[in-house]
Amino acid sequence: MKVLTTPISEEDVRNLQVGDQVLISGSIYCGRDAVLPKICELIDSGEIENTDIHLRGSVIFHTAVSPAGVGPTSSNKLEIEGSFETLSKAGVKVHLGKGEIGKATIQMLDEQNAVYAVMPPVTALLGNNTMEQRLVAFPELGMEALYELKVKDYPAIIAAAHNESIY
Amino acid sequence: MNYNQEIVDKVCDALVRAGSTFTPDKKEAYKKAIQKETDDKARWVLETVLENAEVAEKNHSPLCDDTGIPHVVVEAGPNAAVTGTVLESIREGIRQGLRTLPGRPMAVKGNDAQRIAQSEGMYEDSGMLDAAPILIRSTDEEVLRVHILMFGGGPAIRAHTHRVFHKHKVEPVMDQIVEWAVESTAQLGCSPCTLAIGVGRSHYEAASLMLQALVDGRYEKQSEMEQEITNRVNESHVGALGLGGDTTVLATFMKVGPQRASGVRIVCMRPCCCFEPRISSCEL
Repeated sequence: MKVLTTPISEEDVRNLQVGDQVLISGSIYCGRDAVLPKICELIDSGEIENTDIHLRGSVIFHTAVSPAGVGPTSSNKLEIEGSFETLSKAGVKVHLGKGEIGKATIQMLDEQNAVYAVMPPVTALLGNNTMEQRLVAFPELGMEALYELKVKDYPAIIAAAHNESIY
Repeated sequence: MNYNQEIVDKVCDALVRAGSTFTPDKKEAYKKAIQKETDDKARWVLETVLENAEVAEKNHSPLCDDTGIPHVVVEAGPNAAVTGTVLESIREGIRQGLRTLPGRPMAVKGNDAQRIAQSEGMYEDSGMLDAAPILIRSTDEEVLRVHILMFGGGPAIRAHTHRVFHKHKVEPVMDQIVEWAVESTAQLGCSPCTLAIGVGRSHYEAASLMLQALVDGRYEKQSEMEQEITNRVNESHVGALGLGGDTTVLATFMKVGPQRASGVRIVCMRPCCCFEPRISSCEL
């Protein structure tokens, strides 16, 4: 079991292999279909520099945040997988979700030294590993807004790294 | 509307159970799968999903953060009466159950176009989430029974309802179901799945039969066709969470209705995720 603590370094990512079981701790961002394209727009326009969003070495967890808890949604949804490249170029190191992603995305992740990790949708267990949550941006999106969580030992498995994958 | 409070309370409790509890036969299916699983990482996923279910049941908390859209099946015995008050009391029980669980606040605001575009945001009240249209069927038992099923979004994305040309053999229909299931379980991610299948004469009937298959299906009792589908999909080795291994599918629940004199069958196939069917029942 490898331990990943945010911010995640380039060296941390280089040492990850497909199939590695990891425990993720630190501050991670949560976003999905609705908010990730908006974050990409902020990156493309340069406006991200004027926000409280710090993507270098970060983890993006594909989940809603609500009183029901958190858990991964399908990362291969159009607006989620479509955000991987822009987010990776902006410094995101781990895209955390579930479901098969495309070969082109897997290759792009390698070029950006980023990885894709999957986790079981174990909401009841994750509740014990989630210490704090903070609404960061786009509150009008409700449960689909950008949130930051402070987490300890979120369990995941590396599903795509270095142009290899479990798929 | 004057509600029947007893019905409201029973349905509220049933919804919370549906969203937080594995049925006993499902727990057994997981235990058997864990024993048989040969891939270490896939076994870890199966054990973690079962552990999650134990914690959720103990805390009466959601199994998954996508708490799902309520689907309701009512069974009415020979002398049972399903009145408007009964139906509205069931709907009120669902609203209260969603607030208690708590359900994810995902009812979309706005008019037709705004709801499609999700341009006006969501209600903060979990109870604003309407149930799908209620399905009513008769039974020989002297009972009025309600089944609550919570349908998550992932399986809905990956499900198919489509015509299949059967060529006057069962094999082309079975082959199509297996092909859909292998593709969709890999895309879904949150496997092992339980496949829910309805075969009917229209899209409405096929989807209705799929829903009833989830009510009537049992993990320990598989028909020949159900077992064949399960075995063939498991040969794909998509596995738990897509990691490979032996357990892509725990079981198949299939219901074949009356068929049209035609070369076409309408098949509905839902790859229910590792927590589904999230189901609970109560007698009113």
